Amino acid sequence: MTSRRDFFKFAGIAGGAVAASAVSRVSMAALPEPVIQSSPNTMAPLMPNSGRPYNPVVTLNGWTLPWRMNQGVKEFHLVAEPVVREMAPGMKAHLWGYNGQSPGPTIEVVEGDRVRIFVTNKLPEHTSIHWHGQRLPNGMDGVTGLTQPAIPSGKTFVYEFVARRPGTFMYHPHADEMVQMAMGMMGFWVTHPKAKHPLIDEAQRDFCFLLSAYDIEPGAATPKVAEMTDFNLWTWNSRVFPGIDSLNVRLNDKVRIRMGNLTMTNHPMHLHGHEFVVTGTDGGPTPKSARWPEVTTDVAVGQMRQIEFVADEEGDWAFHCHKSHHTMNAMGHDVPTMIGVDHSGLAKKVNKLIPDYMVMGERGMSDMSEMEMPIPDNTIPMMTGQGPFGSVEMGGMFSVLKVRKEQKPGDYKDPGWFKHPAGTVAHEYTGPMAEPARFSAEGGQSMPRVRKPATPTEVKVRKPTSHGEH
Amino acid sequence: MMRLRATHAKWALSALGLAVLTGCASVSLDQNINRVNVEAGSFTEGKLALARTQEESDQRAQAAQALLAQPLGQKETVQLALVNSPSLQALLAQGWAESADAAQVGRIANPIFSFERMTAGTELDLGRALSFGLLDLLTLPTRYGVATRRIEQSQLRLTGNVVDQVTGVRQAWVRAVAAQQEFQYAKQVYDSAEAGAELARRMQGVGNFNRITRAREQAFYADAATRLSTAQHQVTASREELVRLLGLDESQAQALKLPERLPDLPKQALDPQAVGSLATKARLDIRLAQAALDGAAKAQGLNMVTSFTDIELTGRRNTTFDNAEGTRSTARGWEVAVRLPIFDWGGMQRDAMNARTLAAANQLEATARAAGSSLRESYSAYRTAYDVARHYRDEVVPVRKVIAEENQLRYNGMLISAFELLADARDQVGAVTAALNAQQQFWLADAALQASVIGRPTNTSLSVTSSAPSGGDAGH
Repeated sequence: MTSRRDFFKFAGIAGGAVAASAVSRVSMAALPEPVIQSSPNTMAPLMPNSGRPYNPVVTLNGWTLPWRMNQGVKEFHLVAEPVVREMAPGMKAHLWGYNGQSPGPTIEVVEGDRVRIFVTNKLPEHTSIHWHGQRLPNGMDGVTGLTQPAIPSGKTFVYEFVARRPGTFMYHPHADEMVQMAMGMMGFWVTHPKAKHPLIDEAQRDFCFLLSAYDIEPGAATPKVAEMTDFNLWTWNSRVFPGIDSLNVRLNDKVRIRMGNLTMTNHPMHLHGHEFVVTGTDGGPTPKSARWPEVTTDVAVGQMRQIEFVADEEGDWAFHCHKSHHTMNAMGHDVPTMIGVDHSGLAKKVNKLIPDYMVMGERGMSDMSEMEMPIPDNTIPMMTGQGPFGSVEMGGMFSVLKVRKEQKPGDYKDPGWFKHPAGTVAHEYTGPMAEPARFSAEGGQSMPRVRKPATPTEVKVRKPTSHGEH
Repeated sequence: MMRLRATHAKWALSALGLAVLTGCASVSLDQNINRVNVEAGSFTEGKLALARTQEESDQRAQAAQALLAQPLGQKETVQLALVNSPSLQALLAQGWAESADAAQVGRIANPIFSFERMTAGTELDLGRALSFGLLDLLTLPTRYGVATRRIEQSQLRLTGNVVDQVTGVRQAWVRAVAAQQEFQYAKQVYDSAEAGAELARRMQGVGNFNRITRAREQAFYADAATRLSTAQHQVTASREELVRLLGLDESQAQALKLPERLPDLPKQALDPQAVGSLATKARLDIRLAQAALDGAAKAQGLNMVTSFTDIELTGRRNTTFDNAEGTRSTARGWEVAVRLPIFDWGGMQRDAMNARTLAAANQLEATARAAGSSLRESYSAYRTAYDVARHYRDEVVPVRKVIAEENQLRYNGMLISAFELLADARDQVGAVTAALNAQQQFWLADAALQASVIGRPTNTSLSVTSSAPSGGDAGH
């Protein structure tokens, strides 16, 4: 964990007196040993070894926090601390998180469990935890100043309540909240039903992840916490494509996906190849009458959605946010469109001053993924991802649902690319082409403009031609 | 009228002649030029010579041609000036003339021979007289001293003028080379702006830009074009300045090639101690003032006497032919004429001399006092220019390079547009130009310091350049 230690030093420089906030081993003795996760991989589901049994979830590129049973109380220990999170291979971010990662570990309990959570603050500033969506005593709600004093740097607080409602929840700070969430402090919480529940089906696969957005300047590692709208990294569990693991399921599995949105905008989550229903929110299971088939559902800010479907179509199905800018990594939002602009003769001129200049964008932006030129350190290309048929040209909130007949129950391993049955892949047509009938009449209008433009605007359609040598 | 015996007279005359021949001050051109070469040799790093014959002229033209075959470094440019510049030749000739005039003072005035023929009736009287200025002779040693000091003065003056010329050549060379470099950079900026403008034009052509956005890109281009023209003129102007100082003719001017860039900064700047020790030894300005004082003081002793009196010694020989008698008789004798200081005891002249000596003494004092000060100033200018240029080289330009590299990466990642990349590249060029300017300032200050060390302080003013601000942001 040298990287964590180093980062600690760094955080110390940034204003937190680390020595002062370090927690002595003696004071930790009465607490459950904090479990620290150093890997960003998706961990196998944690089978409960004490308490009521349940069917555990799989946290995308995350893990579930083990607990200690103490006289019938499930004791967890969360450590709020600076972390280094790999957002995708080739890019690490300096974030704040819990127990070595951002987001923090998923907490899984069963309806009716008495839960005791120790929260140790190793941040340079005070914090607190709000248990989003839970029914609990007001003083356990975690709102700094309103329901409790903040947890000072270096101190450990304890929260205790009964998990009364089964469902999908999350936790996040409620102290300097804007900064701490912009730095990646959040985690998932699942309360499993203690018995068969009329509105909660058994699922063979139960995935969960949180949506979060960051603004990290290309080449930097720390988010700009003051950013309000123009984020450049749209993540699932602080991971961006191609760093997000695929959701690997067995054919005909009942699949549940739980999502919570802690970004500052909504995300229409879209699944290919299947229809799903929204079976629950952070408010609880939805009544059956309120469910209808969807292929996209919007997850608004501060909301959670739980979707379910039967994975009965084999293949590699894209699953992503339908806002196309959210399936991009860091990019320029202020660059002009270069499509259709003839560059011939210009590159040579520019090369005099900028030797490495190359023409890009004349045909569109896929040049980007085709060339993969050197970009700033610690940055993921805006669109990338090598699929079986070439570049997927994606980034950000994008993953793949892999449905396979051969996938063993309980096996979450990546089965590789789908082997398409013969004749089921789109391919080039090489037969004769008839000239298509062309649309010839413009629509009319209800009434003319008051003033006619002096010269009629001429817009020529530029048909793609073979690319000249630049 | 005294009468002396002839033998005495002969002896006296020959003694006098000897004295005259041995004691005269004289100066030759070669002495003069050697003196300049000795004094300023280490400064000019070359030899001066005045061409007096066709052969010498041809040699010099050949030497100039050989130098012009290569691009001229600063040192070679000074060499070329030494062998080629008509104005330097004029200086040498002028200096020689001055020295010769000065030597004149220490020479004995030529004797006057007078012959008279008188007839009176049958008598024919032929009178011959040879007269010398006796005071002239008596004061010869003193006058010789005065002359040597004046020669000294004129030689120092000549050296000073040569130093001025050489400093001018050095600085003109720096300006001309720097102007070429700036022109190259201006051209790069122009190319980039032109590419930007052209790209913007094509963008508008296919409907990706509106008029105002295109116009903004166009504006950079217009600006770059005017700057390019100015830079172009600067190349011509500074080059012609150099051509004039070198005194090149048409064909030589055609052949003049300059290096592509200014020399790199020296590894280390001269430290003040080193400069100080160089300077105190032989400053031209102090020695020139010293020579002026010595000359005035020496002349003062002379003028004590010459200001109110003059003595003339004349040897006479008169032959009288008496045609009636058919006899001839010869009369020989001496004649001494003294100017009587009845009306003028030379007070005014002596006052003037005193005043001149006093002035010269004070002038020396003033020069000595100013010398240290001007040296400190030109050292400071030199040192500052060095530090600034080094700062540009080691800090500003590398940082700009990093910005340029990072921007290229950002462009590759489609984080910024081609227009931003071009604008940034222009920014970088601005910084490089400022760095070049700092380098130019250093070499100008270096030439000025050398002149100051040898004792011909020139104007040292530094101009401040700032690098272009870095602008533009991109990313999500």
